Amino acid sequence: MWPNLTSMLTWWQWAILATVPPLIVLLYFLKLKRRPLEVPSTYLWHKSIEDLHVNTIWQRLRRNLLLFLQLLVIFLAMAALLRPSWQERRLTGDRFIILVDNSASMQATDLRPSRLEDAQRKAVDLIDQMKSGDVAMVISFADSARVRQNFTDDRRLLRQAVEAIEPTVRPTSLLEALKVASGLANPGHIAADERDVQVAEALPAKLYIFSDGRFGPVAGFSLGNLEPVFVPIGEPTAANVGIMAFNVRPGEANPELYQAFARLENFGSEEVHVEVELYRDLPAAGHPLGGGDRLIDAADVTLPAGETRGVAFDLESVESGVLELRIKSGADDHLSVDDQAWTVVSPPRPIRVLLVTPGNEPLELALRTDAVKEIAEVTVQSPKFLKDKQYAEKAVGGAYDLVIYDRCAPQEMPRANTLFIGRVPPRPPHGAVPGWSAKPKVVGPQLLPVSTPHPLMQWIDLRDVKLAEGTPLEVPPSGSVLIDSDVGPMLVIAPREGFEDAALGFVLLDEVTGPDGKTEPYVGTNWMTRQSFPVFVLNLFDYLGRGRDMLASGGLQPGQPVVLEGPTATARLQVGTPAGREDDLKGGNLGKFNFTDTEELGPYEVRCEGKTLRWLAVNLFQPAESDIRPDPQPVIKIGYVEVEGQLGWEAGRRDIWKWLLLLGLAVLLLEWYIYNRRVYL
Amino acid sequence: MPQTSTLLSPELLARLEKMELVSRKIFRGRMKGERRSPRKGQSVEFADFRNYVPGDDLRFVDWNTYARLEKLFLKMFLEEEDLHFYALIDASSSMGFGQPTKLRYAAQLAAALGFIGLIRSDRVKIETLDQPQREAAPIFRGRRSLWRMLDYLEGIEPGPPVSLAEGVKNFCLRNSGKGILVLLSDLMDKTGYEAALRYLVSQDLDVYVVQVLSAEELEPEIQGDLRLIDCEDDDVAEVTVSGPLMKRYKQTLAAFVESAREFCTRRGMSYLLARNQVPVEELVTGYLRTRGLVR
Repeated sequence: MWPNLTSMLTWWQWAILATVPPLIVLLYFLKLKRRPLEVPSTYLWHKSIEDLHVNTIWQRLRRNLLLFLQLLVIFLAMAALLRPSWQERRLTGDRFIILVDNSASMQATDLRPSRLEDAQRKAVDLIDQMKSGDVAMVISFADSARVRQNFTDDRRLLRQAVEAIEPTVRPTSLLEALKVASGLANPGHIAADERDVQVAEALPAKLYIFSDGRFGPVAGFSLGNLEPVFVPIGEPTAANVGIMAFNVRPGEANPELYQAFARLENFGSEEVHVEVELYRDLPAAGHPLGGGDRLIDAADVTLPAGETRGVAFDLESVESGVLELRIKSGADDHLSVDDQAWTVVSPPRPIRVLLVTPGNEPLELALRTDAVKEIAEVTVQSPKFLKDKQYAEKAVGGAYDLVIYDRCAPQEMPRANTLFIGRVPPRPPHGAVPGWSAKPKVVGPQLLPVSTPHPLMQWIDLRDVKLAEGTPLEVPPSGSVLIDSDVGPMLVIAPREGFEDAALGFVLLDEVTGPDGKTEPYVGTNWMTRQSFPVFVLNLFDYLGRGRDMLASGGLQPGQPVVLEGPTATARLQVGTPAGREDDLKGGNLGKFNFTDTEELGPYEVRCEGKTLRWLAVNLFQPAESDIRPDPQPVIKIGYVEVEGQLGWEAGRRDIWKWLLLLGLAVLLLEWYIYNRRVYL
Repeated sequence: MPQTSTLLSPELLARLEKMELVSRKIFRGRMKGERRSPRKGQSVEFADFRNYVPGDDLRFVDWNTYARLEKLFLKMFLEEEDLHFYALIDASSSMGFGQPTKLRYAAQLAAALGFIGLIRSDRVKIETLDQPQREAAPIFRGRRSLWRMLDYLEGIEPGPPVSLAEGVKNFCLRNSGKGILVLLSDLMDKTGYEAALRYLVSQDLDVYVVQVLSAEELEPEIQGDLRLIDCEDDDVAEVTVSGPLMKRYKQTLAAFVESAREFCTRRGMSYLLARNQVPVEELVTGYLRTRGLVR
């Protein structure tokens, strides 16, 4: 049986090593410069040598014994470097769980052809070692785990299951996989009640984890019967430059001008120069966005080892579409999935706002500022409009992005975000869901300083705001308090079926009927005269008007579901994936669809009746996955157990290089002895 | 004593005074010496009678016997004569090795034997192998010549290499007389020592061959890959000193010594291996005594 040979050196290292034996021979001949010594007479020496010359070949052999020993040492060392090994049945146990990591970082090519394929090869080696009667199961895991093959002793099925594992672009979570493995290996753990009859016996199993270890410690998990073996995959030389963020935002100097901004990080140990190219991504020929040069801009970036650099591109000509950023780096970039990123530039659409008010001059004034005008279309209506048929159509049809109800409330909630001033949203007609409610009116509540980081309350200072009276609000389920007072919450926001409703517990301005029957204006607060009020209105538009969505969307993670909304309740949507597949979305609810098939990186086109509705961009943006440098001392922590990585693990591989080196050392000692003691054969 | 020499210590001199050189051969000295000769001659020691034949010296007729027996008998006396002692020293540069050098050792040995000869009024002649043929070496006789002899010995320096056979041949040509010859050499001649010794066999000399070897030759303590250079002819031997080679060398040396001993024994010569580590007095009072050179 011939041993398997795995070269531990590259070809040029071998070339250098190959020169050593001829060098030894050369040195041996050069070395034969004998030390001169004067003797009384060489008479007897000549006679002695003459006798020995009779068996010259033996003599030559003897004379070169040291040379032969030196050559032997070198050849043994070379043989050891070839790492000869024999496959040996060494698997212990009879139940195995094979966990193969197929997260994004496993696509790294520091191991040829890729880490995942190396892991698959090792896993198949392991399966080949199984004795008959051994059972194993195969689980692949990224951020979720998938059982590829249940416990079976059919090695062919197991091999197929391992070979069928495809790389994903997802982050890594070992916990999912461990839960699945544990559920199958430790049936006792899933018995909810002590009286439950255990249908399967808890059997110990060996858990082989083939992963590059790019995940944190797994907390709150007990291994139970599982005996983990961690096989780290990856080369210490792995290097990678990845895009960690890419989006479009208004330029700092000139907000009119948008900038594409990207953040690059070097996960290698050496400084690298990369070329960053910005493309306008053109999905299909004949598309209205098509035409023109794809390449928009490019930049050279120097990234010191382990550091982050930002790149900004001015977008003068781009108003909408998809931008693609590519890194062009050398052969030292071992992970390519993070070398591309996409972001969506949507044409800015004005926010449609409906203000329903019996009359509120300060608020209307605030809605008429230039800043608001730029981003919003504001319609002002009186509360009578709520009874109008037109309102019902528009409210249900989603014609508004934001509806502000000032001292009034609709019968039914519109399909829009809302703000109620001095009222609370109506309870839903059916169902026992606890809704909004308010406590009795309190005079002179004291506002507490803003402590929430909610976007609505950004840059808002309420210390100089005073209230005449207020109605403290009850916080509905999953709602949050934005403005609090000494008597209770004064501004509360709560989600509702994909929308958000906010309610203000005090009025800005009202009319009161005096004792003489005349109505008089009543000012409920001095907030309108404070600087924080217009800021709040802008925040309102920015947040509840979804102003942010207008600009760009790049933040989808692979596998993350997204809710897509059609223009009308009955619209049907199609999604074109980056790979060119066409998904017809079904099962929508009132024009809303859940789209979950975001496994591919790249731009997704959402269409309705042939028209592009919007774009989605799915990006990796996972530093944990992009950082493919393996730990020099790989350890994964599962609960309180630290599992050390078995460096250089090969299934049942018995290496003999250590023995070869020991033999070489022994030969070296023998040579030393012979040289010093002049022992000859 | 007016002079001092490091060649012989006073203690050794004292011991040597009681000794004398012995020759196994009957030979005639040129001068009257202190030595009783088997030859009949003129001395006070009576040896025998013989019949008178006309022409005999009447002074030696035993008149008392004639008076009693009326027959003429001649009284014969033992002759006392001197002994010729030669020391032939190999003073080639190869003799300059060792501690003490082989040459010095040879000189010490020659001095000790020469001293014994001197105090017995023997004729002592010390030569080196490279002695020019025309230039006669000094002859020492009598105790008073001791310092002269020691001076002469001290003056011998390692000289140019001379073939052993050539040197011995020259010696034989110069000295045709009889006597005792002590050849002090390491016998390391690439052309062989046999020819040289054969010359000596043809002479009527009582020959003692003393092969002087140093510890470096007997037990070489050398190591490694060496280029051994012959100090006399710059001949080179490349060796890698190893256990088997050392063993082989010692075997060769033993064979060489043994062959020299056998060669000498077969030809009536006495052979002696002298190591430069063995003190001279021990050699003279011990080995040479048992070998019969001194008594």
